[in-house]
Amino acid sequence: MENKITREQLLREFAPQLEKTSRSAYIWIFFLLGVIGLGVYAFVTQVTEGHIVTGMRDNVVWGIYIVNFIFFMGISYAGALISGTLHLFHTEWRKPIIRMAEYLAIISLLIGPCYILLCIGRLDRLGYLILFGRIQSPITWDVIAISTDIFGCLIFLYLSLLRDIANLRDFKELQVPNWKKKLYSILSLGYTGTPEEEIRLKRATDIMAAMVIAIAIIVYSVLAWIFSVTLQPGWHSTIFGPYFVIAAVYSGTGVLIIIMWLFRRAYHLEKYITKKHFVAMGILMLVLAALFGYFTFSDYLTKWYGSEKNDESLIKILFTNYYWQFIFSNYIGVLIPLLVVGLPKLRTINNITISAVIVVVALWFNRYLIVVPTLESPYLPIQDSRPEWVFYNATWVEYSLTAAGVAMFCFLFTIASKFIPVIHVSELADPPEKEQQLL
Amino acid sequence: MKDRSVYLKVLWILSIFLFSVVVVLGESKPEATTPPETRMTISYLYASNDTVTLTAGIMVKRETGPTYLANAVIDFFATGGSDTKKIGSIKSGATGTAILKYPVKNGIPRDKDGITTYSASFIGKGPFPASEEKISAKLAKINLKFNSQDSVHNIDVSAMEIEVNGKENPVAKQTVVLYVQRLFSLLKIGEVALDDAGKGSLEFPHHLIGDSTGVVLVYARIEDNDLYATVQGQNSINWGIPKHYFTAERPSRELWTPIAPVWMIITLLVMLTGVWGHYMYSVFQLFMIKYNNKGKNP
Amino acid sequence: MEEKNNKSSRRQFLKKGLAAGAGVVAGGGLIAAYVDKSSAETGEKVKVLTTTGEVMEVDRGHIKLPRVSNEESHKGIPGRKFVMVIDLSKCKNARKCVEACQKGHNLPKSQEFMKVYLMQDSEKAAPYWFPKPCFHCDNPLCVSVCPVGATYKRSDGIVLIDNERCIGCKFCMTGCPYSTRVFAWKHYKEFEIDKEPYSPEASSPGKEGTVSKCDFCPDLIRVGKVPYCVSACPMGVIYFGDIDEDTVTNGTETFQFSELIRDRAGYRHLEVLGTRPCVYYLPPVERQFPVESGFNGLEDNVKNRFNNTQFVKNLKK
Repeated sequence: MENKITREQLLREFAPQLEKTSRSAYIWIFFLLGVIGLGVYAFVTQVTEGHIVTGMRDNVVWGIYIVNFIFFMGISYAGALISGTLHLFHTEWRKPIIRMAEYLAIISLLIGPCYILLCIGRLDRLGYLILFGRIQSPITWDVIAISTDIFGCLIFLYLSLLRDIANLRDFKELQVPNWKKKLYSILSLGYTGTPEEEIRLKRATDIMAAMVIAIAIIVYSVLAWIFSVTLQPGWHSTIFGPYFVIAAVYSGTGVLIIIMWLFRRAYHLEKYITKKHFVAMGILMLVLAALFGYFTFSDYLTKWYGSEKNDESLIKILFTNYYWQFIFSNYIGVLIPLLVVGLPKLRTINNITISAVIVVVALWFNRYLIVVPTLESPYLPIQDSRPEWVFYNATWVEYSLTAAGVAMFCFLFTIASKFIPVIHVSELADPPEKEQQLL
Repeated sequence: MKDRSVYLKVLWILSIFLFSVVVVLGESKPEATTPPETRMTISYLYASNDTVTLTAGIMVKRETGPTYLANAVIDFFATGGSDTKKIGSIKSGATGTAILKYPVKNGIPRDKDGITTYSASFIGKGPFPASEEKISAKLAKINLKFNSQDSVHNIDVSAMEIEVNGKENPVAKQTVVLYVQRLFSLLKIGEVALDDAGKGSLEFPHHLIGDSTGVVLVYARIEDNDLYATVQGQNSINWGIPKHYFTAERPSRELWTPIAPVWMIITLLVMLTGVWGHYMYSVFQLFMIKYNNKGKNP
Repeated sequence: MEEKNNKSSRRQFLKKGLAAGAGVVAGGGLIAAYVDKSSAETGEKVKVLTTTGEVMEVDRGHIKLPRVSNEESHKGIPGRKFVMVIDLSKCKNARKCVEACQKGHNLPKSQEFMKVYLMQDSEKAAPYWFPKPCFHCDNPLCVSVCPVGATYKRSDGIVLIDNERCIGCKFCMTGCPYSTRVFAWKHYKEFEIDKEPYSPEASSPGKEGTVSKCDFCPDLIRVGKVPYCVSACPMGVIYFGDIDEDTVTNGTETFQFSELIRDRAGYRHLEVLGTRPCVYYLPPVERQFPVESGFNGLEDNVKNRFNNTQFVKNLKK
């Protein structure tokens, strides 16, 4: 009885998010659609004129598209890992943010692979990846892994949404269009909260939470292996698997903090997402910053100390052409969160969010510095008189599509928040769980 | 009426003018004024299959450089003493070469010393002048025999010249070059100096690779001789190392083969069944929820 | 009266008009005979006498080589394993190999299957010109990483690309440590020269959005000829042959492969990477030309390629 009242209270409070769309929200959506439209135009340009409109050439064959791919896949795994581990460990503070983490996991997982499609020369032959896939190729492993991951995250998200959908279906005061109500009743599978159903749901959710954690680690390692199994100097590193996983979760934590801050502002959720949550996420970010810094330092230390000829030329390129990006991503990107979260005086919601923004940008540059400089320093020297064939410079097509991807990300998040409240109502209304066994 | 006649006159004058312009333009060559020169080359080979092979090449020299002349009809003649016989007519191919293989048994004129002069001539066509080239040769043949004594393999070469009356005399003091047939070309394996009796011998090289049964095709040639031009004899023997004797079998399951190594396939299957099995279990739970609620009202 | 006059003048007009027209047509025919603007992009022309005795220049590209089917291209030429030997002491950057290969495969100027580098192994070492085709490695990383099997290694050692299967992911380009492969970033008009059906053995016609590379010219091998680069080199730098037959030839000279490698200390480039290449190099000892002669007669855009090399920087000082 008590739960139901609380649940109804919560739903009443969150209902306006689903029912009304303010003017600023409309402006926001139209702005995003405009950016996405620019991206579509850039895509059409690329398809009709060929990949020559990008900055990629015969040496740097993978540019910003692959950087974005790695980036989006990375933040997805943070969502998966955070929601999965927090679910399994039954921590209390996770409850308001777990929905955002799950959305993060699936939305970025839908956007990331689109960047690979942009990089593929012949999109008309995409089906060959399945028809003629070779098991020995890391890209085939990636195709299998990503599809497994998407499916798993969808199931996990659905399991988590089920109770809320059922609540929305039952909430009589909800004033949404009929088609939305119909959608709720179809998707809720007739869930009514009986003990038997609860057990089934819990069983499935626990298994999927464990799976999602395992899949996240495996899938991102496979992505890392795409680089590390080649012989390119700078890529052929043994620690790429764990390094990428740590960097992924680190960047995803930053994105999650930004999302928390944005939704808190947009939907006035100050009561539910408090400083405590920011600090908790901030501590997570601090730990990951330390780990990320450790891995990066370890990687570059070994390259620099051994000073093998190709490693040396790579480091030279990093410190001459990409000096500021390198400092920003690997020094500032590590130190700022450490300072902001570590020093109690600096530990405010806004500061933590600003450092999250810095982290996200720094990690994007970190991915860029992993992909591009290596390709600019191959074993056989690049001897070409055309500057665009020697150094990589992204063109407007690539930048537009990057912006469009970010815009699509925000757009999907906005749309998702209009269907189901962005805070997990059922979890919040549940009584705090006592010490339970994990499995 | 007057206008019309003027109009007709103007039209007539215009058409004459056009025609003359056209003719003048047509007459003028847009290219260089120096006429092209043609050059012919000829080479001769008499091989042990009793055929004379004449290879003629025709080139055009222009200011812009030499180019091959294709589709040119090249006539081949054989002259011996006062007899001249036309032995063939071949059109040159895309690289300007025309090859004629003429069996000697069809008869070739020879002078009293047994020498025949062969010529390739192009009578000229269009702007390309005629050209001709000659080569003289006396018939000679080379015999190749193989013998082995005490595990030493030898190639025995003997060369004979063929006189007009069919008598054969030994070819003395000439150099014979020995080759083996390889995929794209001939590999030289040695030279033999013929003694007064026209005979010579060369040790067969040890590490020569033959075909899959070890058969090697050996050629012996007298090359660019003043009297005999080029003469060739051939024979084959299975003294070579059989091909693939030492080549390892090419692997079938590697990283770069169409089929993956077995352990990779097994690992992948195990992982996939593990993960998707769990997925199916969760989806099954969902189905059970729906199934149980089917009868009830939503 | 007037009508009759009209009719006759009309007839006259028509007659004269026709005469003028015929004159123009005849004149036009004369023009066509002497204007040889029928040249296609390959540029190398062969003079052909037509049946009417006219002179015409036929593009060399019209000389066709037989092509095997896509399926047949997966099987190698039986009983062979091909190897190439490049003699660095004779190379003077004439670039005839590059051009012949581009012509033979109908490539645009920006795509080079055979590349010539100016290499200098270390600061005090002497620079040398380094022609680099695809090495057709025995442990080809490019083949291992292709997700769709568009590139494959045949029994005769040749690694080919099927650009009807290639999806253009460019993983093979990052997999190759020797920067051998090139990508068709757009549709080049040179891809339209070849009207024959595509065969991986000819690597022609190219296709936008796919990868291509040196293929050791199997279509030439099948008719008993050596690859374009081998026959085009004026110095006879490149030797080609069957390693199982232990013979290599550059068109004029033929050597036993094992003897050549032993006597001239042949080696493979970046052996340490473990790719097991099938192209051997003979070190640049007793050079026939100074390195600087390699810059003679080069177009500016080619000459400027080497501006960043240590050798050119030293020259400028």
